[in-house]
Amino acid sequence: MRALFQFLNNVLGATAHNLKANRQVFLVSVATITVALSILGLFLLVFSNLKSMMSTWDRQVQLIVYLDDDVSEDQKSKLRALFEGHPEVEEVAFTSREEAWENFRHSFSGGADFIQDLDFNPLPGSFHMRFKSSPDRLDKIKDFAQVLNKQPGVESLEYGEKWVARFEKFMIFIQVFLLAVGGLLCLGLILIISNTIKLSYYSRQDEIELMRLIGATNRYIRTPFLLEGVCVGFFGAVASLALLKAMHYYIQLRFQESLDFLTRGVVIQFLPFSWSVSMVVVSMAVGLMGSYYSIHQFLESGDRQ
Amino acid sequence: MIQLFNVFKSYGGVSPALDGVTLTIHKGDFVYLTGPSGAGKTTLLKILFRRERLDRGQVLVHGFNVGKLDDSRLYQLRRKIGVVFQDYKLLPRKTVFQNVAFAQEVIGVDRKTVKAHTWQALKEVGLTQKRNAYPPELSGGEQQRVAIARALVNRPSILLADEPTGNLDPAMAAEILALFEQANRNGVTVVLATHNQELLRAGRYPVITLNRGRVVES
Repeated sequence: MRALFQFLNNVLGATAHNLKANRQVFLVSVATITVALSILGLFLLVFSNLKSMMSTWDRQVQLIVYLDDDVSEDQKSKLRALFEGHPEVEEVAFTSREEAWENFRHSFSGGADFIQDLDFNPLPGSFHMRFKSSPDRLDKIKDFAQVLNKQPGVESLEYGEKWVARFEKFMIFIQVFLLAVGGLLCLGLILIISNTIKLSYYSRQDEIELMRLIGATNRYIRTPFLLEGVCVGFFGAVASLALLKAMHYYIQLRFQESLDFLTRGVVIQFLPFSWSVSMVVVSMAVGLMGSYYSIHQFLESGDRQ
Repeated sequence: MIQLFNVFKSYGGVSPALDGVTLTIHKGDFVYLTGPSGAGKTTLLKILFRRERLDRGQVLVHGFNVGKLDDSRLYQLRRKIGVVFQDYKLLPRKTVFQNVAFAQEVIGVDRKTVKAHTWQALKEVGLTQKRNAYPPELSGGEQQRVAIARALVNRPSILLADEPTGNLDPAMAAEILALFEQANRNGVTVVLATHNQELLRAGRYPVITLNRGRVVES
């Protein structure tokens, strides 16, 4: 225990010494990582907000059943019973042909004259259904729509399936894109940190050579460099989160109102806490990998002598 | 303590650096290693603490089979050996005290012991007054003494020195030799590579002479 404490004391001292001696290289590396992670973070920020918008839109998705013009009262009652009997249906509202026409004319009250002059009602009656919230709501709506399609009295169905599906595909594309960009950035960061550690190593080459000749273990030599890499990753991630927070604040302040039509009242959020923590952890892991990669090379080549 | 059998080492030149060297140095011995430049003295010392790998043969040092020693156990061998390098290898940005303390810190000696042992080592080489000086501020002889203090501070069983008196005047050389003799009296096996004819002529210790990588006299 005492030996472990001594070891930690010595390696922490050596790490602090390294950081102090290579202050400039350290700061440049942290700045590079900050910029790289901020780019990734910006994508994540857009992605997380699109995701929350998606779930808002998803909540607004409803199934509309348009009825045949000659639907009988009996068929309507049967359909209503079918809707209300479905366990996932939360609310059912009926709009008659007359109501639909009235609403339509009202919406276009200042619009084209031919609509106002039309002497017949082209709109069908309809049922509007809201479904209970659940992650697979869209699937449930799809299933139910298939059943309803075959019911007598039903003319057509609408639940925005096309745009929802398109948006889902877009989100999948964004996820793949983020994964690719994230992967490439991580690779780049590994190389940057590996380079930082190499510079740090070169600046202390004589000292390390001496340590090896005196009988220091590879673990003792390696640990301060690994900690240095972890520090670069940690400070880079924290600085990028601070930068992102500032950007988020600015965007919210300047653009929230003008984006309201798109976000439908959803406030532009910062990255979820778990995502922020993950960014820091991944950055530290990348720092560790970068430094391990370079120091491992040096120690291996030293051992081969 | 140190045994070499038919040791061969080549750097790819016309003639090998060591060519079938066989010798034995017993525990507690004080031995001079001599020969002209390029005879293989430095290579032989480097092989003893595995700074260089041998190509063929057997080397046993303090129970370690040096040629077959796993990299992960190399530090165990090196902790048994103190080395005084030809170029001293002092760290210029550390003080005299820190240079000597460094040798203990890197092998995990606790801070209190480091302080006590460093002070004692500096006392033995007569440099306590210069403990806060930096190596570039010291004379060649003083730097050599710091290097000796650092080599001895971890109480090694073997002390290897490569031309420790090479750049020193005769008086200073005698002082440095006295430090090695003191270490030897304390039980340390000393192998000292030198060109210094005065030391060799004094005839107090056995001499191993190398020429073109071969032992020509022992």
